Amino acid sequence: MITEDILKQKPLTPVQWARKIAWRHGVGVAAVSFALFPLIWMISASFDTLGSLSAQKLIPDNPGLDNFRELLGNPDQPYLKWLRNSIIISSANAILQMFIGATAAYALSRFRFKGRKLTLMTILVVQMFPQLLAATAIFLMLADLGKSIPALALGQTTALIIVFAGGALGINAWMLKGFYDTIPAEIDESAKVDGASHAQIYFRIILPLARPVLAVITLLSFIGTMNEFLITSVILGGNQNSITLAVGMQQYIDGQYNARWGPFAAGALIASVPVMILFMYLQKHVVSGLTAGANKG
Amino acid sequence: MKIGTNAPALLLKIMLLGALNAFTVWSVPILISNNTWIFAIYFVVSTLILDFIFLSKRRIAPKYIVPGVILLLMFQVYPAFFTGYVAFTNYSNGHFLDKETAIDVMVSNSFAPVGAEPNYMQVARDNTTQKIALIIQDANGFNVGSRDGYSALPSGDVTLSSDGRIEKVTGYTVLSDDEVFAILDEFNDYKVPIGNDRFYSVSDINAVELVAQNLSYDPIKDQVTDLSTGTIYSPNNNGSMVSAAGEEIEPGWTTTVGWRNFSKVINDERYRQPLLQVLAWTFIYAGLVVLSTFFLGLMLALVLNHPRMKSRKIYRTLLIVPYAMPSVLSTLVWAGMFNVDNGVINKILGSPIPWLSDPWLAKFAVLLVQLWAGTPYMFLIATGAIQSLSTETIEAAQVDGASPFQVFSKIKLPLVLMTLAPLLIASYAYNFSNFGAIYLLTGGGPTIISSGGIAGHTDILISYTYKIAFAAGKGNDYGLASAVSFFNFILVASISIYSFKKSRTIENMT
Repeated sequence: MITEDILKQKPLTPVQWARKIAWRHGVGVAAVSFALFPLIWMISASFDTLGSLSAQKLIPDNPGLDNFRELLGNPDQPYLKWLRNSIIISSANAILQMFIGATAAYALSRFRFKGRKLTLMTILVVQMFPQLLAATAIFLMLADLGKSIPALALGQTTALIIVFAGGALGINAWMLKGFYDTIPAEIDESAKVDGASHAQIYFRIILPLARPVLAVITLLSFIGTMNEFLITSVILGGNQNSITLAVGMQQYIDGQYNARWGPFAAGALIASVPVMILFMYLQKHVVSGLTAGANKG
Repeated sequence: MKIGTNAPALLLKIMLLGALNAFTVWSVPILISNNTWIFAIYFVVSTLILDFIFLSKRRIAPKYIVPGVILLLMFQVYPAFFTGYVAFTNYSNGHFLDKETAIDVMVSNSFAPVGAEPNYMQVARDNTTQKIALIIQDANGFNVGSRDGYSALPSGDVTLSSDGRIEKVTGYTVLSDDEVFAILDEFNDYKVPIGNDRFYSVSDINAVELVAQNLSYDPIKDQVTDLSTGTIYSPNNNGSMVSAAGEEIEPGWTTTVGWRNFSKVINDERYRQPLLQVLAWTFIYAGLVVLSTFFLGLMLALVLNHPRMKSRKIYRTLLIVPYAMPSVLSTLVWAGMFNVDNGVINKILGSPIPWLSDPWLAKFAVLLVQLWAGTPYMFLIATGAIQSLSTETIEAAQVDGASPFQVFSKIKLPLVLMTLAPLLIASYAYNFSNFGAIYLLTGGGPTIISSGGIAGHTDILISYTYKIAFAAGKGNDYGLASAVSFFNFILVASISIYSFKKSRTIENMT
């Protein structure tokens, strides 16, 4: 059916349109409503000056910025600090994970050395034991390590970043190796002939060629860290000043959810809009990154 | 091949290596003094390996791989093994210390009044050191005491008021009652040693009482004796000192307990029932999420991927909004929308439906939210797969007179499934441990009554584990949590192995 239409490319008569296309728009509109409903509700709530769940309407009677003021002016729940922590931790982690994965993948793709297969195999096996499941052990381990090394103690941002960096190789190395394999080896061979060192080839040739893929990986790591709840809450725990947005915003659903619904929505809006814009901007690359796994194992 | 002669890069390398070595030299003695030998050894070995690799002109591949591997071993591989170890211990609140430290704490916490009358005392501050001091009256007159010692004051130094209170002390500033109240916390474990293992301890704002250590440890018999009652406490097999009457002394210590944690979850009705329920729900939940999101995503992809629809791109952009929104926040927004009394869903429906507190409705709510959150991903990958289908096969089928449904079920669906199988399995594994999806919406609740309040009807393995280990006031049983994690590890690893076999990653390893 599809191909018939393409071949003919004749404008449809209204009757044909109604029969073949209209219902598709019906389905599309229904699906979009479902997809956007929570977002619209959140936006509406954040500008509703009544600020409570019970009184909310889809289009607020008297829109205003009260919720934003209340959110930012609450010293017990320092929203801006959480936002800053989230950005610091997510950025550091995104860059570290990308870099560690990208360097290891370069060697795994380009060099033939003893233990290469073993390394690839090990990374594959390690992937089967995600850090997430070992949260308890990581907690006990840091409780012990923190006695000696303050930067690795529970509650420390640095501890969280280092722990996440430990998971980097398992996450990205395989996928990036697959990508590097598609870059023709002749490019680095000829650079080598011209006298470039392995580091020069890596930093000046391979990394720039891989830039789009690395950007997507960095973005996905960033969003992933921003969304990470379990390990973050286990390591940073109850320290109101060092927790991330993900852990902090959860406090809003404890107890007085009704009364604090407005400020919560305002906070959720501030935090999600930049991420969504970035995501939409890189949409194409993200989608191709997602499907890469299916074609290249 | 020319060796890099890049001066700034060389400088950076030397600085990083220097910092690493300095860190190791600084940290290792501290690690050793804290008895964490395993980390001390690991730090030393890692540093030596890195020094060797980066100072060598060959070893090119290891330069790129080893730093990541060292982090991987420490923070992913070790925790996995450590989980296995902790599963065989009684690690929990009250069993957090090693035996030696635990006994030290026991003994030094065991101060008990010896029964003498309290002595009059006034809190003061030493004018030269600015430290707190206690001016204490005993049978021989006035004395000054601190954590460091106890000594008599010359009788002329103390000036009393008309009602017998200490008013002035030479060299000290007497604090008012209000000032003392402000720093009351400092006196919780403030003890003035007066010799013979006896101490003055602050019992009131103006009084101290004589206390003595009540427990004593005999390392040869490995027993603790209560000096006032004569009761003897011996170690039991759960890392505690216990009397013959069964009375335990806090704190206990960490010790291996063999298979006890495992036998608890297998044999003990209070743990087995909830665990089986949680386990079953984990499988069902992950399966239903993958099926429902894939079905809806595929349908949307088929419906909206019609070449005559000019607004395809707009639909696509709007449909992936849930995927772009940070999932932690959207899950919390949903939790608000499901609120019984005030949530928008109940307002639209016009009745107070207990979405998050009824076992079945909570399950439905969790699934609905994941349908919302997961469909965009499935829609994207299904669209990609459909677009890459070869049109020839489909046309051939159409020429042979296949109905649209036959084209879909006999050709499109099998081809799409074949392409997407690895991603679907990966999605199953992901949902199997999608902690936030459960914990942030329902907290795992509503509670399964028979589980002693820990497991809930929507808990999946990972959230159940988290609650055993970290939920406030419910035990903090890290040993048991690790035993449950252990099961989770095995299941997730099995799914992964199946997935790798399916996608033939290993054979493709070149």
